Amino acid sequence: MNAKMDASDACDLRFGQVGIACVRVRRPDAAALCEELERRVRAAPQLFSRAAVVLDLSHLINLPDDGIVDALLEAVRSAGMLPVGLAYGTSATEALAQRMGLPLIAKFRAAYEPADGGSIAPLTPSATPAAEPKPAPAPVREPVLAPSTGITGAQHHDGTVRSGQQIYARDRDLVVTGTIANAAEVIADGSIHIYGGLKGRAMAGAQGDVKARIFVSDFRAELVAIAGHYRVFEQIPKDLEGQSVQCWLEGDKLLIARL
Amino acid sequence: MSAEIIVVTSGKGGVGKTTTSASLATGLAMSGKKVAVIDFDVGLRNLDLIMGCERRVVYDFVNVVNGEATIKQSLIKDKRYDNLYVLAASQTRDKDALTQEGVEKVLDDLSKEEFEYVICDSPAGIEKGAHLAMYFADHAVVVVNPEVSSVRDSDRILGLLASKTRRAERGDGAITQHLLLTRYNPARVEQGEMLSVKDVEEILGINVVGVIPESENVLAASNSGVPVILDENSLAGQAYRDTVARILGETRPMRFLDAPKKGFFQRVFGG
Repeated sequence: MNAKMDASDACDLRFGQVGIACVRVRRPDAAALCEELERRVRAAPQLFSRAAVVLDLSHLINLPDDGIVDALLEAVRSAGMLPVGLAYGTSATEALAQRMGLPLIAKFRAAYEPADGGSIAPLTPSATPAAEPKPAPAPVREPVLAPSTGITGAQHHDGTVRSGQQIYARDRDLVVTGTIANAAEVIADGSIHIYGGLKGRAMAGAQGDVKARIFVSDFRAELVAIAGHYRVFEQIPKDLEGQSVQCWLEGDKLLIARL
Repeated sequence: MSAEIIVVTSGKGGVGKTTTSASLATGLAMSGKKVAVIDFDVGLRNLDLIMGCERRVVYDFVNVVNGEATIKQSLIKDKRYDNLYVLAASQTRDKDALTQEGVEKVLDDLSKEEFEYVICDSPAGIEKGAHLAMYFADHAVVVVNPEVSSVRDSDRILGLLASKTRRAERGDGAITQHLLLTRYNPARVEQGEMLSVKDVEEILGINVVGVIPESENVLAASNSGVPVILDENSLAGQAYRDTVARILGETRPMRFLDAPKKGFFQRVFGG
């Protein structure tokens, strides 16, 4: 009993928030990664030399095998940064992290599970991905244009998207045949086609594609956004309510018109 | 000057926490205080509906906690009172999206914006969301219905308020606890189907700060996005006004504790 009392003051275990850089890997190429990171470290040694970083593999179409991940981690190390864990991810990433003996820095794993076999990346309306790792992401709404990975074809979702659900089609269009309920979100890097009602939110061009559009059969949206430009509808304009509409960007203006 | 933080909590679900949060916040704003009301029910947000601002949510509580938006961007100004603001919960996340440090920062930011009162609308249960809602509180309004299960859950919550809060941990003096009895139906109390005010006070060992009679107006008000305190003609609205006045230090007699006597016509024709 006494021994137990003595040991209890050996340490304090606390959770805290720290700024940490995230290396978002866009292709599983260790040599290129090393070269790019070395360039960053040289450019801002105070910021990046021996900086703790987490490796984000969620932008890769397929999760690379252990050997490649090892090579990527080694690339980060040889560039002068210190990888401390894997970021985000699905249950597969979690298993990988376990095999690697690395912690998984994942707050909301469920949010990243692929909805239909495709891979899905973290995204919220206000946390649009930036192209380079930053120690502390500023609250920017405007996303940075990312190079496309060249996937074609749209992602399909059949049926209703329920309140609180989030569907994200990365690098492509999203087609929904059901209704998006209030406080549900559909997001696509391309355009969004909704053949039911839109009562929640739709965000197209999530990575900055200003040519993306949103098409809705029955318009009652709370919010629509294209490439970070958004409109909130406290009142739905009478001439649009329940109508088939499309939304597109003209310059900085988000326009909506009946089809 | 830091804001007074009031948590509205209960343990049990469906007893009227969000209704109370909305009316309490609106009532304080009616008294001229600068008030923010925060929905801690991440994943099952409702406060925005009761406050009637559900179509104006752009950024939410989780966005602020994650540093993705500033507190100013996220606060939704009430349509009726411009000293009343709502911070909505995120519907697409879960309770794990909140952290103690994040919540503390939001509350500090609100103090810096010179809010006088911050109302924290707790989710049901005693898990993370409810814990974070109560942790930083200076005052607690424990909402209880006149039934045994609700009273037992409130007892548990009163225990947690006395031990699992920052004030308790630092020994800064206890949280002021207010018991609010809602959905009170005097007729059913007289029939012996419901616990009386006295029963509840005896079991829990503290006095009630208000008794809100069961009223059809509450549902109607909720569905139309108007806090019931704004409905002057409803007994529930009047009872909430009394309650807010008492929380601000006034002494007011308890009303609506007796069943209304039926008049001649009601006795003849039913009613």
